[in-house]
Amino acid sequence: MSTDDTSGSLDRPTEEITLTVNGESVAAEVEPRHKLSDFLRDARGLRGVRVGCEHGVCGACTVLLDGRSVKSCLTYAVQADGAEIETVEGLADDDGSLHPIQESFHEEHALQCGFCTSGFVMATKELLGENSDPDDDEIEAGLADNVCRCTGYQNIYDAVNRAAEKMDGRERDGEQLDETETDGEDR
Amino acid sequence: MSSRSETDGEPTAESETKTASEAFTGRGLNRVEDRRILTGEAEYVHDKAPDDALHVALVRSMHAHAVIESIDTDEAEAHPGCHLVLTAADLKDDYNPMPAGLLGFEEWSLADGKARYVGEPVAAVVADDRYVAEDAVDLVTVKYDTEEAVVDPREAREDEVLVHEDHGTNVGDHEELTFGDPDAAFENADRVVEGSYSWGRISGVPLETAGVVAEYDRDTDSFDIDCNIQLHTLVDDTVYETLGYDPDDVNLEVPPDVGGSFGTKIAIHRYCCLAAMASKELDRPVAFVEDRIENLQGGDMHSTEREYDVKLALDDDGTIRALDVWFVDDFGAWPRYPINQVLKPLSVLTNAYDVQDARYEYDLVLTNKTCQTAYRGFGVPAHLYALEMIVDEAASELGMDPDELRRRNLVSPDQMPYELASKNLYDSGDFPAALAHVRGKIEEERDGGLLDPDLVESKREEGKYRGVRPTVHIEPGVSGSDWTNRQRSERDELDDRDRDDVAELPEHLRAEVREDGTVRAFLATDSSGQGHQTLVTQLLADELDLLPSDIEVVYLDSVDAPTEYGTAASRMAVMLSGAAQGLGDELVGNLELLAAEIWDCESADATYRDGAVYRLDGGGGDGDDSLSLSELAGEDRDRDADERLTRASYDYEHPATRLDEFDEALARKFPVYPTAAFAANAPIVEVDAKTGEVEILKFYSLRDCGTQLNPTIVEGQAHGGLAQGIGAALQEEFAYDATGQPQAITLFDYRLPSIENVPEMELDHTETPSPFTATGAKGTGEGGMIDGPAAIACSVNAALEPLGVTADRIPFTPNRVRERIRERGTED
Repeated sequence: MSTDDTSGSLDRPTEEITLTVNGESVAAEVEPRHKLSDFLRDARGLRGVRVGCEHGVCGACTVLLDGRSVKSCLTYAVQADGAEIETVEGLADDDGSLHPIQESFHEEHALQCGFCTSGFVMATKELLGENSDPDDDEIEAGLADNVCRCTGYQNIYDAVNRAAEKMDGRERDGEQLDETETDGEDR
Repeated sequence: MSSRSETDGEPTAESETKTASEAFTGRGLNRVEDRRILTGEAEYVHDKAPDDALHVALVRSMHAHAVIESIDTDEAEAHPGCHLVLTAADLKDDYNPMPAGLLGFEEWSLADGKARYVGEPVAAVVADDRYVAEDAVDLVTVKYDTEEAVVDPREAREDEVLVHEDHGTNVGDHEELTFGDPDAAFENADRVVEGSYSWGRISGVPLETAGVVAEYDRDTDSFDIDCNIQLHTLVDDTVYETLGYDPDDVNLEVPPDVGGSFGTKIAIHRYCCLAAMASKELDRPVAFVEDRIENLQGGDMHSTEREYDVKLALDDDGTIRALDVWFVDDFGAWPRYPINQVLKPLSVLTNAYDVQDARYEYDLVLTNKTCQTAYRGFGVPAHLYALEMIVDEAASELGMDPDELRRRNLVSPDQMPYELASKNLYDSGDFPAALAHVRGKIEEERDGGLLDPDLVESKREEGKYRGVRPTVHIEPGVSGSDWTNRQRSERDELDDRDRDDVAELPEHLRAEVREDGTVRAFLATDSSGQGHQTLVTQLLADELDLLPSDIEVVYLDSVDAPTEYGTAASRMAVMLSGAAQGLGDELVGNLELLAAEIWDCESADATYRDGAVYRLDGGGGDGDDSLSLSELAGEDRDRDADERLTRASYDYEHPATRLDEFDEALARKFPVYPTAAFAANAPIVEVDAKTGEVEILKFYSLRDCGTQLNPTIVEGQAHGGLAQGIGAALQEEFAYDATGQPQAITLFDYRLPSIENVPEMELDHTETPSPFTATGAKGTGEGGMIDGPAAIACSVNAALEPLGVTADRIPFTPNRVRERIRERGTED
C-alpha cells in the first residue's frame, strides 16, 4: 500500500487498494475517507449499491465483504483492501437468469420502489447461506438491519421463505446430478 | 415526444397465458418494473450525474431563528475544487422567490436576511465532488444574531415573537366552516363530550432522498432538470416560476424509478432551482444529492403536526347529533402548497358516521420548524384519529359499548351514494358489514386465541394489557378539481363562483403501434414504486387483445406531457384504468379506419381483434383479409406524424366532472373525492404497563377498494400503508426542543418501522365497485396510513381501559404511555 498525493493543489492524499468485486480483480487509488459505498457506485458503476442514510440504519447499501454483510456506507474503501466484495449485480447468471432470491422477491412482490431491495437481497443471501431454512424469528433477526418503507415486510418474509425452498430444491437437484462433490452439509 | 426508459422486464411465463374468458386486468400480474431493480440496473436520480457534473453542498442554519448579519464566502471560494458559492444576494438580481402556499409570503431559495429554522439553506457551495463541497461548506462563515424561537403551536398564536414580521401574526390562515346547524344540534343534544388530542410531526421519509441534476443549455437558453420531484407536471411551476422561465424552457424529467415519495417529494423544488441556477452560472451540469441528515432536519420534508380540541353532541341512546372540530396545524417556517392538508379532511368530515351538523375550524400557524410537505393521506390520518378518539370518549361517558355506539351511527348501504355534510359524496360501500367482519375475527381470537379470557387475565397479572377495538374508516380517493387553490384565492370571491369556474384535472395516456408489432404507451405522470407500468401494461393488453409482453410503457417529461395532475391522492389506478379504456377504444377505431383505407372498404367492414384488423366483406381474396399491427404500422409510416392512425391519445376525465351530485362541493371549492374506499380494522395490541411499550400482536383488516385491477399491488399498498400507519402511531416523530432544535436528525432518532416492529397482518378484501369510475376501481394508495393510526390508537386505549388511562398524544411512544399511567397513579 502506498500513500500518494495525486492532486497536489487539492491536498487529497490517496492510497492504493486491490480488491475483488463480483469476481473481478480491481486496483484503485482512493482517498482514505472515501466510503466503500461511494467507491462501488462511482468508481465501479455499481448503482445497485443504494445509499439511503449514510449512518448505518437503513441497510440499503448492504454488500457482502468476504461473505459477511456490511453496510458499505460505514465502511471505508481502504478497509476493503484485499477483500472480496459481492453486490446485487453479481447475482444473476451470465445468461441473465435471476438468482433464486431475486426471483422470489419478484414473485412475492417483495419490492415496491426498490430502493432498499438490493440491500435486502444481499442480507437474505447471507442469511440463507448460514441457515437454509430460517423460521420467522430467524428471518426477523437476519433482516433487522434493513429498512423497507414500502412493503410492510410481510411479502419479504414470503420471499425469503420461497427463496429458501428454491435454493434447497436446486441444491438437491445438484446432488442428484453430481453426487461425488456433494456432502449434503451445506444445502 | 421523448421516452425515458424501456420497460425491460418481461412478465413471467405463467402470466403470459390467457384464455378468451380471462383478462389480465384483475389478476395479480407480477411487475414489469422488478427485473431492472433486482439486478441493479434501475437508474434512480442518484445515478444520473454525468462525469463532468459539479456537486452542491449546502450551508444550513444551526439556529432556529436568527438574523443573518453577514456571510463571508471568500475562504470557501479560494478552496481548491470549489467553483461557486451562492447566497440569497446572488439570486435576487436574476431570479424570483419560490411560489408560496398563501398570498403575501416571499421565500427565496436561500435564506434572505433571516434564518427561520434549523437546517434552512443559507448558502450553496458548488465543487468538484460532494466531499470537497462539504470541505468548502465548513469554510463559509455566517454571522448570526439569534432570536427567541417560536416552537409551541398553540402558543405561537399569541404572536409574542413573530416568525415573519411583515405578516404581523404567526397565524398564516384561519377558517371556520359550518355545515347544517351545529349550534342547534349542540344545544338540543342530551350531552356534549369533549376531548383534546395531539398528533406529532411525522412524514413519509422515503429511503431515497431528494436528488437533482440540472443542465443549462446556453444555445437555447433552457434547462434540462432530472429530479425525483413528485407531480412533475403539476408542481413544475414551483421551478420555472422561480427561475423566471417559460414552462417550455424548463424540462423536468423524473426517472422511471424513484425510491419512494409518499407525497413528500412534491416540495423539492428548492434543490431543483439551486442546481439550475448554479448550472447556468457555471455552464456545467450540476448535481445535488440530499443526505439523510439534511433530509430529516431541514429538507422541507416534514408533514402534519396538529393539536385538536374536538366536541361531539350525542343523545343518551348513542345517536351522534353533531361534531365540532378545532385544531391548530403547525406548518413550520413557510406556508407551502400542502396547506391544503388542513382542508382535505372535509372530504371525510364525519368518517363513516351519518352526521349532518358539523363545525370545522382551524388555525394554521407558522413556527421556527422545517416547512411542511404532503404525506400519504394528506392531513386525513390525524383527523380520523381525533374523531375516533372522541367517539370512544363518548362511549365511555355514555357507559355504552363502543362497538354498539359505532354500529348505531354508521352510514348504511341503502344511503349510498351518501352526501356528507361537507358536500363530498361516498360512492358505495357496506360499512356495517365490514365492521361485523372484523368483529367476527376478534370473536375467533377469544376462543383460545390471542384474546382468550384466561390468557388475557394471566397476561394482566404480568402487567401486560391486551385490547382491541374495531373501527371503520374511509379513504377518500381521486382528487381532481382545483379546490387545492382555495387558500390562495380571495375568500369573498368564493361565494360568487359556480362549478363552471372549476378546473377538473383529467389524466393523459397516449400510445403508438410500432413496426415490430408491439405497442408503446406513454405515461404523463411519475411514479415511485406503485407499479404504474405494470398496471397500464395489463390494462392495454386487455383493451388490445395482446399479451403484456407486447406492451411497453414509458414516461413523458414535463414539457411533452400535458399539465395534468399525476400521482397523488390515491388516484392513479382509477385514472389510468379509465384512460387505458378510452385509449384502447381510440386506437382500435383508428386501426380499423386505417385498414379500411388500405382496403378501400367501409370501415364497418374492418374489425379489430387479437392484434390484427380483419376484413369482413370478403373483398380481399386470399391472403388479403387481415392486417397485423406490424403491417398497419408499416403502412402508416409515411404519413405526417400528427396524422398517423397508429397513434392515439386519450384524456380520462375526472370521475366527478360530469356528475351533478358534486355541484355544490365544486362550486364552493371544497375537496371533492369521488371514491370512498374503506376498511375495517382490528389490531390486537398489548401494552406493557411497566415500560409503556405497545406491541401489535396481529392486525386484522377488511379492505375494499372497489374493483381490484391488480390484487397483488393492492395488497402491497395495504401492507405498506399499514406499516407506515404503525410507525406514525407508535414510534415516528420529528420532535423539537424549546429552542427549536430538532431532536430527530438521524434514523436512530426518527424511528422507521423495521421488520421487528411490523406484526403479522391478516387482510381480507371485498369488492364494491364504484358507480362513478370507468372500471369500478377506487383509490387505494393511501389506505393503511390513513386508517392505521386511528385504529391502533383506539385499540391501545381499549387495552388501557382497566387502568383508567387514555393515551392521547400520537405517537404513543413508551415514555408517553408511561407518563399517562404515572399521572393516573395506577402503577404498581
